[in-house]
Amino acid sequence: MSTHASGGAASAAAGARAGWGDPAFAGLARLCGLLVLLLMGGIIAVMLYGGRLAFSTFGIGFLTRSVWNPVLEHYAALAPVYGTLVTSAIGVVIAVPLAFGVAFFLTEMAPGWLSGPLGTAVELLAAVPSIIFGMWGFFVIVPIMARDVQPALIHSLGHVPLLHPFFSGAPFGTGLLTGGLILAVMITPFIAAVMRDVFNAMPPVFKESAYGLGSTRWDVMRKVVLPWSRTAVIGGIMLGLGRALGETMAITFVIGNSNRISPSLFSPGNTIASLIALEFPESAAGSLKLSSLLALGFILMVISLITLACSRLLLRTGQTVRR
Amino acid sequence: MNASNGPMPRPPVQAPPLVTPLQTAPASGTVHPTMISVRGLDFHYGSAQALKDISIDLPARQVTGMIGPSGCGKSTLLRVLNRMYDLYPGQRATGEVLLDGENIIGPHVDSNQLRSRIGMVFQKPTPFPMSIADNIAFGVRLHERLSRADMADRIEDALRRVALWNEVKDRLKSGATALSGGQQQRLCIARTIATRPEVILLDEPTSALDPISTARVEELLDELKRDFTIAIVTHNLQQAARCADRVAFFFMGELVEVDSADRIFTAPKQKRTQDYITGRFG
Amino acid sequence: MSATTLSLPARTRSTTLLRRRRLIDHLATVLCGLATLIVLAVLVSILWTLLADGLPGLRWRTLTHVTAPPGAGGGLLNPIIGSLIQVVLATAIGTPVGMLAGIYLAEYGAGSAFAGAVRFVSDMLLSAPSILVGLFVYLILVEPVGHFSGYAGVAALVVLVIPIVVRTTEDMLRLVPISMREAAAALGCPHWKVVLLICVRAARAGLLTGVLLALARISGETAPLLFTSLGNLNWSVSLNQPMASLPVTIYQYAGSAYGDWVQLAWTAALLITAGVLLINIVARVGLARQDSR
Repeated sequence: MSTHASGGAASAAAGARAGWGDPAFAGLARLCGLLVLLLMGGIIAVMLYGGRLAFSTFGIGFLTRSVWNPVLEHYAALAPVYGTLVTSAIGVVIAVPLAFGVAFFLTEMAPGWLSGPLGTAVELLAAVPSIIFGMWGFFVIVPIMARDVQPALIHSLGHVPLLHPFFSGAPFGTGLLTGGLILAVMITPFIAAVMRDVFNAMPPVFKESAYGLGSTRWDVMRKVVLPWSRTAVIGGIMLGLGRALGETMAITFVIGNSNRISPSLFSPGNTIASLIALEFPESAAGSLKLSSLLALGFILMVISLITLACSRLLLRTGQTVRR
Repeated sequence: MNASNGPMPRPPVQAPPLVTPLQTAPASGTVHPTMISVRGLDFHYGSAQALKDISIDLPARQVTGMIGPSGCGKSTLLRVLNRMYDLYPGQRATGEVLLDGENIIGPHVDSNQLRSRIGMVFQKPTPFPMSIADNIAFGVRLHERLSRADMADRIEDALRRVALWNEVKDRLKSGATALSGGQQQRLCIARTIATRPEVILLDEPTSALDPISTARVEELLDELKRDFTIAIVTHNLQQAARCADRVAFFFMGELVEVDSADRIFTAPKQKRTQDYITGRFG
Repeated sequence: MSATTLSLPARTRSTTLLRRRRLIDHLATVLCGLATLIVLAVLVSILWTLLADGLPGLRWRTLTHVTAPPGAGGGLLNPIIGSLIQVVLATAIGTPVGMLAGIYLAEYGAGSAFAGAVRFVSDMLLSAPSILVGLFVYLILVEPVGHFSGYAGVAALVVLVIPIVVRTTEDMLRLVPISMREAAAALGCPHWKVVLLICVRAARAGLLTGVLLALARISGETAPLLFTSLGNLNWSVSLNQPMASLPVTIYQYAGSAYGDWVQLAWTAALLITAGVLLINIVARVGLARQDSR
């Protein structure tokens, strides 16, 4: 009487006499998986290591102060962190309704002959390189903002008691609002694509039974599709947010490059990514400035990873609930 | 119900004459040596036991049919015989399965080599994403180095044995996925016999096929048993009656009864067998 | 219910309620259509701007001349060649690594915590800020060596390629039916040959799509190259030297004060966008054909 328990495809094959092919290949594949982990670990570790000088020099003040003064060699993270969060928030606030509209239109409203090409168009917009968005924003959007949008906002909202600090200042066209707008345009197709897939993944029988009760499309979307797909939809939004937080080239052109915190959304600012892109070439190897930029990179990495991790978990939960 | 008894559409061009149901060979006369001998086999999927103390002999150059309701363990037994369960964690077999006196579920058996001796054909046709000729050459190349000419001969021989040669000889280099379902299944059988196994296991090989293709495959079995030992799992009792020399009835992981096909279908010893073949359950 | 019939007579159904629901539905339709129009308008505006501002500079000499100081009639030859070299090399190096990792996840990683971690981290790497990848490679490949190089640029792009290929490889391999794997195993085929000769072959159209999408994605990447291959205004194909690329050239030229450099930036932007969108369309058409088979 003999017993043989098998432990998975790879080990079972390895248990047999057949030679080295299977264990070698499985080992190689596993090694490449390990490499992915090492890359991520390496990026975080290198950023932290490179930023150690800044962290040790400024301590907790690096996170709480907003000064960025290369002459006095005083650096702190608050201004670019503020810029990053504000532009991303503006981006998400504008992008979510747009993306929802696009996804709803594509899945429920557009006739078959239209939804295919429209879907492709949205996907193509997602594929446009970010530097193109930056150039387009700089040459097309900034003049419009300076000439029309910002003056109009200053005239209308600039006198509303609670809102006026946010909508005052000189209409240069650049600044946090413009940056957020460009981000919105960039992440809308991403969020829309995720929402469309999530909506499409719903078994049609649910929708059909709701329609069978005399529901309108909006009723079905609000009462059936959205509750059912809420988790995954939020995951998709977080994914868009993750992209917005780390976006560099689209922002760098329109942000205005200033390291002050000002309530006005028209004032120039900086995000972590744009500050790194703009200041890095002027930082000497081993300098406190370079170390501060790396420390900022570490902070950005942490913020992005938390966002992306939430996004993945939500998307995955959404999937398992659906299955 | 087997539809080959009913009215049939005209067969496609080049089809051989329609098949008449095979006469079940009486198990008398010639003595068939045992090819595979299963002794006290238990099988577990994780904590669930799928086979309980199975003992059965597969006689050489005979067709053994395995019948029983869904989930009775007949397919599981087939997947033990060529160690298909090795592919999945948490599945384990204990007991003895003797082939040439060697326990093939022992820990020191090369499962790939074993599978070259015990071939398997599945429920759904599984042509590989390559040409018809390459589909057959793929299995052969795993175990033998043949010259081009020898390989061409082997391919032709295998395709002739499954009566597919005349249908595909002009398009051996074209993709196998373009074949019809029945042709694909015969290609899969050809692929299996081209590796020159000793035993062929068939797991409901005709359940995805139309009546004509089913009849062809059944006819084929009668040809193949001259050279191979065959075990076939089927849900179709008429098919078992037509094709099998011996029939084994499984129920809830147990082997209830095994005997010649005649006796199983005309005078079963066990009440459960009787109930099943008369349609009282399953 | 005490009533003998459950059916509500048509007259008594609330028509105001129905009218309100219909109105809201119409409003939603209009707003969603509007959102779609806005997104389309952005795409059209970008493409129109690129064509209007980029086409005038698209001449034969632009493609055949090396970058030059403002006013000296330079072209885009070295950025084009530099981009091609770096992108092709990065794809060639990143694809096998990403495919093997994807194969690990799909074929060997069922239920293992290690595979779960690899999958999770790979998905995060897919969306991680690319500028940080540039910083990472700067610190490990540029600072120790003492100068910027094409190698460093390639390395940064490889880091971006790997997670894209991992994702598509795993997804595509999971579409290959189990029965195909079992049939190959039943012939006595070792698992690694089942994967490489059968599964990869069955999924080849999808895998190729993934590689093309990765190629398109890194073609337009700027941030990771800023601190690695840096850009080079002179002709150089040495990977050990700083190397020009189209996106970095766009970045340097678009913000400059010289009319001819800005013109070149637009032309470069047109070239890169046309290339990226073309690859995307080819990849999607290929995938659609795979699906329909």
